[in-house]
Amino acid sequence: MAALLEIAEPGQSQVKEACVAAAVGIDLGTTNSLVAVVRPDPATGSGKPRALEVDEGSTLLPSVVSYREGGAAIVGREARRRAADAPSDTIASVKRFMGRSSADPETKRLSPYRFAEGESGTVRFEVAGRTVTPVEVSAEILRTLKARAEERLEMPVRQAVVTVPAYFDDAQRQATKEAGRLAGLEVLRLLNEPTAAALAYGLDKRSEGTFAVYDLGGGTFDISILKLVEGLFEVKAVGGDSALGGDDFDRAIAQLLLDEMGATPSGPRLVRQAIDAARAAKEALTTRDAVELELTGFRRTLTRAQLEEAIRPLVERTGPPSRRALKDAGAEGKLDGVILVGGSTRVPAVRAYVRELFGLPPLADIDPDEVVALGAAVQADLLTAEKPQHDVLLLDVAPLSLGLETMGGLVEKLILRNTTIPTSATQEFTTFADGQNGMDIHVVQGERELVSDSRSLARFRLSGIPPLPAGLARVAVTFQVDADGILSVTAREQLTGISQSITVKPSHGLTDEEIERMLLASLEHAEDDMAKRLLIDARIEAQRILRAAEHQLESNGDLLSAEERAPIEQAMRDVRATMEAADHRRIKDAIERLDHDSAEFAKRVMDRGIERALKGHAAAEFESGEMSEHAKKAYRALTEERAPRATGGGRRPQHTDDD
Amino acid sequence: MSEARATCWSCGAARAPADALCSSCGKVQPPAAGGGKDKFAVLGLPRSFELDAGELDERFRTLSRKLHPDRFARASAKERRFSLEQTTLLNESYRTLQDPARRAEHLLELRGIRPVSDTAMPEEFLEEAMADREKLLEAKMDGGKDGVEDLAAGIRKKRDAAMAEIGRVLREPEPHPADLSRVSELLARLRYYARYLDEAMGRGPEL
Repeated sequence: MAALLEIAEPGQSQVKEACVAAAVGIDLGTTNSLVAVVRPDPATGSGKPRALEVDEGSTLLPSVVSYREGGAAIVGREARRRAADAPSDTIASVKRFMGRSSADPETKRLSPYRFAEGESGTVRFEVAGRTVTPVEVSAEILRTLKARAEERLEMPVRQAVVTVPAYFDDAQRQATKEAGRLAGLEVLRLLNEPTAAALAYGLDKRSEGTFAVYDLGGGTFDISILKLVEGLFEVKAVGGDSALGGDDFDRAIAQLLLDEMGATPSGPRLVRQAIDAARAAKEALTTRDAVELELTGFRRTLTRAQLEEAIRPLVERTGPPSRRALKDAGAEGKLDGVILVGGSTRVPAVRAYVRELFGLPPLADIDPDEVVALGAAVQADLLTAEKPQHDVLLLDVAPLSLGLETMGGLVEKLILRNTTIPTSATQEFTTFADGQNGMDIHVVQGERELVSDSRSLARFRLSGIPPLPAGLARVAVTFQVDADGILSVTAREQLTGISQSITVKPSHGLTDEEIERMLLASLEHAEDDMAKRLLIDARIEAQRILRAAEHQLESNGDLLSAEERAPIEQAMRDVRATMEAADHRRIKDAIERLDHDSAEFAKRVMDRGIERALKGHAAAEFESGEMSEHAKKAYRALTEERAPRATGGGRRPQHTDDD
Repeated sequence: MSEARATCWSCGAARAPADALCSSCGKVQPPAAGGGKDKFAVLGLPRSFELDAGELDERFRTLSRKLHPDRFARASAKERRFSLEQTTLLNESYRTLQDPARRAEHLLELRGIRPVSDTAMPEEFLEEAMADREKLLEAKMDGGKDGVEDLAAGIRKKRDAAMAEIGRVLREPEPHPADLSRVSELLARLRYYARYLDEAMGRGPEL
């Protein structure tokens, strides 16, 4: 790191810290994805989250990825424009396939894609001469968001809170985390979307009470019941359907069109066009009563009444999970409000249904597209900032029950759905055969009684049980769910103390080898992507060091003679000149020269800072920790050296334990 | 109650084993060995069946604010682990105390009384239960919603009576051991009533 960037001025530490890297909130949506960030307002010091413009001036990046033969993937509006011409190479709504197996009904629905068989039964798309997994496609979206956020913020983005539907199961959560890793992001937390929305909403409106968040997006439906008390957001119950959303509305209308046209079998291009026409009609019918549809010469008028009839069965599917969540939360008749989230809640028929369902007029005064990302940004700030902008805390729940397979293919539930996390539970099992020396542990997720109806999460075997008559050996199985909602399981034989434990990886997920291979592949394919990334990084770095240099020359220029100043200014001009070039190495070289030429200057500035600190100007900042680590060390060295312990000992730094 | 002492791992100050945070330096502490045995102590409440729900909620919120892992996202691995353990214990204790039946069960457990297993119930109760279930099945077969509803109402009455009796015994300052065994049996009945009502009301993954 350049020495000039290490200098912290008293009182400016926050700005300096903020310059190092940003932690963002990402809403990885079915239809659109967004990135938001909490930045303290320099004037007021308060930090409101805001969504960043990431695609052609919009905060919405369409979650569409288009692959080209031999080239880097295209993401966003440009990809969406390509969809009609390259329907099978352009993947939209990839979220619907996250963590699903190739046998999942989702792959059988109306779609223009070509599917390939995967090694571990994972969904794979055939695109532009290769196969990609949903995780890789999602990683492309995340990579784009990361890069564009870095451009807007002019600083690297390394950490993110990524939102997932509350009703996502373990496999879908793990897949989302893997996508983040593949995109070069440290995923600080997977945050449930309705919780994120409530966070943004509650902070903005300063409301208290019990709220339902009705979140109908492009591909998922979530319902959450939360209680808000003095900055504490307590999730009481969640529910939903991870395969229900606006996409299904589009497909229902598209199917109607294709049936009327008698177009069977319909090729991928026609299917894509029908779905696009359906979506446009649906959106237009939000404000109009009838709309004219055209599909390869076939014309038809679609009225709002017809649309509502076509989607009614789908909208009504949100009823049972909503009622169940209300009952689980004990909130029937006690709601203070219903918050609408997700683009599909713009459909008038959906709003009418929500009003009927809850007996309350729904609230939608924060943009339902942005609200989730804004909440995620607040949580990212909470988890990374030394002094978070908002004093809030989220208490979330396990969305689905977790259990074990027992005799006869039955599920023994250890942790019930809607249990506040982190949590743990232990259950004892005995052997059923004489001399049995091992026990198979099969971990399942879901509400059903039979293993065959549940989601299989993991299997492992505890071996080395001492040979005893049936029923005498006792195995204690412990489930621990952490604040991320990630489950780990430990099995321990009580007599011998033999134990086995695992962190659950989904049975339908990707193997570690597959992930490695994908990481490598993404590097190969993204050769030009990589160059672009390096270039952006280098430009950001250059801007930062130039700004630092300008600032220091302005405030501490008197430390330099004219002869000393000239080479620094020359080096700065060089950096500026190379920034226009498309070669990151040249920029890096220029930065290094500037760093070298300004090293002596940086040292003098630092010394002056310390001198001032010793005079007491900065003592307060030191005490309150508002000084860079570098400056602190120097300060400490000087105070310890110059001030005899007997008199100056009161100001010894406290070390924090970091094991 | 024996008051064993413990010391803070960070500053070495003496502290009560049930304290989640050191009163001297404020650092989060590991749960005591066998900690959480007394779920009332975890929430800083006296062992009592009578409980102010508002106060319980308030204590849970206050402790959550201090102990939750999100508060320790930037702390050392050691503190993160303690915070996870303490919060897990807190959540579990709160869940137990919130529900009157589980609270009663926990009070018995603290007095060293093990719960009665469902199969060890008196013969007459098991026979009564069998008869109840048959009636429910018949009512369901008839398809009459009213029939099922009437049966459920009858069971609810029995449930409320059992709960009231449990409360009466546990409110006594020094309940008689025979009364406590009676509570244990009543709790087994409550579990049965709960299952019956689930079945009658058609509990499933969806409503």
